[in-house]
Amino acid sequence: MSGSWYKRRADGPGGIHPYPGRVLELKDLHKRYEDVVALDGCSLQVERGRMLGFLGPNGAGKTTAMRTIFGLVTPDSGQVSWEGSPITIEQRRRFGYMPEQRGLYPKMKAQEQLAYLGRLRGMSSADASASADRWLERLGLSERRMDRVEVLSHGNQQRVQLAAALVHDPDLLVMDEPFSGLDPIATETMADILREEAAKGKAVVFSSHQLDLVEDICEEVAIINAGEIVVEGDVQRLKDAAPIRHLEVQLDGDMEDLFDGLEGVRQIRSDDHTHTAIIEADTDVRGFLSRAQQMGRLRHFSYTTPSLSDLFREAVR
Amino acid sequence: MTSARTVWQVALREIREHGRSKSFLITTLVTFLLVGALVTVPGLIGGGTSEYTVASVGEGNEPIATAAEQLGNVADEPGAEPSVAIELVDFDSVEAAETAMDEGELDATLIDGSEVIVESVGGFGESELLALLQQGAASVQLEAIVAEGGEAAADVIEVMTSDPLETTTLSGQEPGDETRGAVAYAGLLLLYLAVLLYGNWMLAGVTEEKSNRVVEVLLSSVKPWQILAGKIIGIGTLGIAQFAGTILIALIALRVTDTLELPSLDAALVFNLIVWFILGFLLFAVLYGAAGSLVSRMEDAQNVAFPMSMIAVAGFFVSIAALSDPDGTAAVIGTFIPFTAPFVVPVRAALEAIPAWQYIAAVVITIATIVGLVLVAGRIYAGGLLRFGTRVKLRDAWRSAEA
Repeated sequence: MSGSWYKRRADGPGGIHPYPGRVLELKDLHKRYEDVVALDGCSLQVERGRMLGFLGPNGAGKTTAMRTIFGLVTPDSGQVSWEGSPITIEQRRRFGYMPEQRGLYPKMKAQEQLAYLGRLRGMSSADASASADRWLERLGLSERRMDRVEVLSHGNQQRVQLAAALVHDPDLLVMDEPFSGLDPIATETMADILREEAAKGKAVVFSSHQLDLVEDICEEVAIINAGEIVVEGDVQRLKDAAPIRHLEVQLDGDMEDLFDGLEGVRQIRSDDHTHTAIIEADTDVRGFLSRAQQMGRLRHFSYTTPSLSDLFREAVR
Repeated sequence: MTSARTVWQVALREIREHGRSKSFLITTLVTFLLVGALVTVPGLIGGGTSEYTVASVGEGNEPIATAAEQLGNVADEPGAEPSVAIELVDFDSVEAAETAMDEGELDATLIDGSEVIVESVGGFGESELLALLQQGAASVQLEAIVAEGGEAAADVIEVMTSDPLETTTLSGQEPGDETRGAVAYAGLLLLYLAVLLYGNWMLAGVTEEKSNRVVEVLLSSVKPWQILAGKIIGIGTLGIAQFAGTILIALIALRVTDTLELPSLDAALVFNLIVWFILGFLLFAVLYGAAGSLVSRMEDAQNVAFPMSMIAVAGFFVSIAALSDPDGTAAVIGTFIPFTAPFVVPVRAALEAIPAWQYIAAVVITIATIVGLVLVAGRIYAGGLLRFGTRVKLRDAWRSAEA
């Protein structure tokens, strides 16, 4: 396979999608902390009205990249721009941020805390207060609006944290692991809200390790590895263009040598009766199918474009 | 949104949240009660007799001493132990009396009913004695005026408003320094308490934001110096309000119980104290704020606070020295060091023992240091705020925040 398929945007220059709404751009960011390289030429674009899933293994540079957007980290080189210009503090007040390390004033009342954050970002007292109430209602916290944050349950604190990023109706939402620690119901609420915000025309970018979820709700993904974006683009296009295929077989009995003899195998995983292989796209699997049928009772056989998880594993391998 | 509005929002939050916290309300209430009690109770229970021994050289001293003693005991309950006892001892010469004063046997010397010598004018006991003697002399003069049949209001007023005894001190201080020195001392003590108390609020407030990580949300839309400035203004406002309330209660209690004669203050002295109170407060608030950003846990906060507290303690002691020797080397050096100036300069100025150029130089140096510190502290603050875990080294904090 050509080693650089993933370096291009699948729908990049010359593709059919000209990116008219591209608003946030991180360009060739480098950041080094003593002997640790956090960002190594990281480039990223976020579009208005689209949701970008930002993926990468721990320590790949996700949080550092997100912090550069808010000036919390100053890159050694490279630019961060909004609508083509460097980002000012005034523009940052139009951004919403949910840091990986959640943090609120524990002794402040939920509603007052949100209203304060609204005012800090330039809202009038009345608007900030009304917006805080609106978000608390939307998140089912109306009855707890006057509770101190420290007495709220973990899940409810997370909701307040989400509202803190949204209270000033930002143009851009940047969320670092917004789904971590959420139960399935809260995950759904979070996903709904992110979708709604994107549908309102906002640019949304969030990091996550829940690849299936990202595949579900994001149009676009960017995968960062060792400080560098290694895959970026529309999820469906990436899958179609990927030079790999996902092969899944369910057979009765242990079949450790199932994939022996198949060419172009890149990764193999087996659990119980399900055997999965990532293989190169030009591999002919017909011979393999007939061999599998001879080995035992074949319950399931699928040969598909790769899942996001497959792409991720390939990219960060 | 302007920076001023951002700073104001931060300040307002500090005032609101601190101002209605239980700990603030309780400490305020306890302070008020304590100060009220401290001022009131000694006046109510009498508190024993202050005994003074006064040398008498020449004639006409006895009526003054008697009148002074009577005035000192005027507020006593009938049958109670007297508040003041003045024993008059005859001396042949002023020199002999001064020698006895030097040896600590005497509190003051009266000469011919027209002069008084005291050790110095800074101590509180001597202040009471001197005030009583002056009042005693005034009442003797009043009696004389009445006895002579003179009743011109102007004469009476003149006697009432002047100090009839010519005062000299063994230490060479100017009379009139007395109340000024006491007021400066009180101002000094207040500044010292304010620095330690509200400095620790600053420290705790900054460390708290770091320890609960809210700081990352804040810094995404607010500049570090705006948070620092807002905190200083908010905590400063609240602290000054708490202090003003305490002083007000003390003054009211003093008036109600008549425990102490309130010194009349001239506007320049009060202005001088307020200016230096604010300068000193700002200087240390910035220091404590920057120190707070270096640690993420309250347990570590006390360690970084220690050097700051030591600076305040040093400033306090230099200024205590300046109180008795306002022209001394320590006082002069302390004037030009920004961290001791807020303590030393108001004392020297109150005692009128500082040349104008030194005063102006001290103001300029201190303000320049505050401005410089805000910039430096803003950077340390920015560099320290997003580094969690172990205590951040000053050098690393400075480096990690490119201004």
